[in-house]
Amino acid sequence: MTMPRFSAEVIDHFTNPRSCGRLDAPDVAAFVGNPVCGDQILLTARVCDGAVAEVAFEAFGCSASLAVASILTERLSGMSLAGLAALDEDRIVDWSGGLAPDQRHVATLGADVAHRLARNYRDGVIDDSPVSAG
Amino acid sequence: MNIAAMVGMPGEALRVPRSQWRQSLIGAVGEAFRHHYDNNDFYRAQCEGVSPADITGYEDLHKIPLLPVGMFKQAGAHVLLTAGLAEIETEIRSTGTGGVPSVARRDPLTTTRASVGILGGYRDFFGISKGAGMFLCPSTAEVPEMGMVKVFNLMTAMLDDHRYLVRGYSFDAQEALDYLRGWEGRMTRHIIGPPFIVARFMRFLELESIPLTLDPESMIIMLGGWKQYTGRSISRDEFNAKAQRLLGVDPSRIRDMYGMIESNMLAIECEHHRKHVPPWCYVSIRDITDPAVELAPGKTGGIAILDALNTAYPGFLLSDDVGEVDESDCPCGRTGQTVRFRRRRQGAELGCCAVSIEKYLDENQLVAECELVDAAGRP
Repeated sequence: MTMPRFSAEVIDHFTNPRSCGRLDAPDVAAFVGNPVCGDQILLTARVCDGAVAEVAFEAFGCSASLAVASILTERLSGMSLAGLAALDEDRIVDWSGGLAPDQRHVATLGADVAHRLARNYRDGVIDDSPVSAG
Repeated sequence: MNIAAMVGMPGEALRVPRSQWRQSLIGAVGEAFRHHYDNNDFYRAQCEGVSPADITGYEDLHKIPLLPVGMFKQAGAHVLLTAGLAEIETEIRSTGTGGVPSVARRDPLTTTRASVGILGGYRDFFGISKGAGMFLCPSTAEVPEMGMVKVFNLMTAMLDDHRYLVRGYSFDAQEALDYLRGWEGRMTRHIIGPPFIVARFMRFLELESIPLTLDPESMIIMLGGWKQYTGRSISRDEFNAKAQRLLGVDPSRIRDMYGMIESNMLAIECEHHRKHVPPWCYVSIRDITDPAVELAPGKTGGIAILDALNTAYPGFLLSDDVGEVDESDCPCGRTGQTVRFRRRRQGAELGCCAVSIEKYLDENQLVAECELVDAAGRP
């Protein structure tokens, strides 16, 4: 029996994305994109007492990157900013129910955007992403 | 001819009498339309007033509803899928100047059909079964999902040796020359790549006054478009003349191809430089101001493609490209349609894999030149 290419978690979030879109007047926004392959994730969030109170995503690229962006909105909600900053790729792979070797770059993208969200909030930066699906 | 026969023997399918070609096309496209109409809720919702029962003749093909290719860039692209994500085997992408990738997802049946069909097309048009290929593009290992590279990579199956000469988004023309010289006298040498990198290589030979004559059966095979990200176009006539002068390749052996990653249509040039639409596709030219209106062959308009191979998503696409279709007989003996790309639709981004490669090549070259200046300026 061959291994499925996509985990059940990735299929679920790709097919039924959660919190897709941008928050109005967010406290912080973080954008990370891979200039070569084109995968892009934008997170917008509201922060309350040092933790993520609400978060939404916009993403473009492969199915795994769209799914991971959706998974992040569920997992980051309620997480402290310190927790975001400490997030590693293995955790994202775990949340995704496993990623095939050619999908691992998405875990890096996910960790990067979470770190950037924490850093941007600390520095008072709101990324204005260049994303547009023209 | 059914779809399996077309895919397995595209050379034969491209040479059947015109009436038989039309009949086969109606059958294949009609069957594909029924599959997506029956199994894709989103697509069926776009089919207001048209059902598979309405597609009975050649003149009905244009009634099949089209999906704008821009939809493949959108975040909610899952709605396009007729197959579930669990059934998807490959994701192929193209990134244009806007930076947002267009992603086309294929299931195993579509992947098999497209691979076999494209390889059959290469065999029919190029007749290559040996030799060495110098690929002026990145390898699939470097950019595994890039559509253009994936299509080029299939060609390696017909060659005895090959090298990819764009690495880390840089291109060393001297290295390319060394490989061509290394194969000399041992194998017929072919050059494969987007036009602008082949043009770069020829410019290097010209500026350095390097004499190089390839072999009598050498070919130059290209894909990726003739417009650079800067907006400058490469003239095909000038290119052919230069290739003949600098590489000794006859213009009849210089071949361009046209395709888009969202479709399984790869239109390959014959020796008369007409790009033949594969037998499983129908190209319909649409009025720019009203895409519902199909224009007659020879008229310029938006290029729409009806692709019968695709079972993963409806391959009925309205592209951002402008051009013409020709249904007259080609001197090469193939029937069916030929397509000519003219330009991108006004307002559409300049988008394809080749454009991205070129942009990064130039950026890398700029960085390298700046580093040289810095190094020279240091005490």
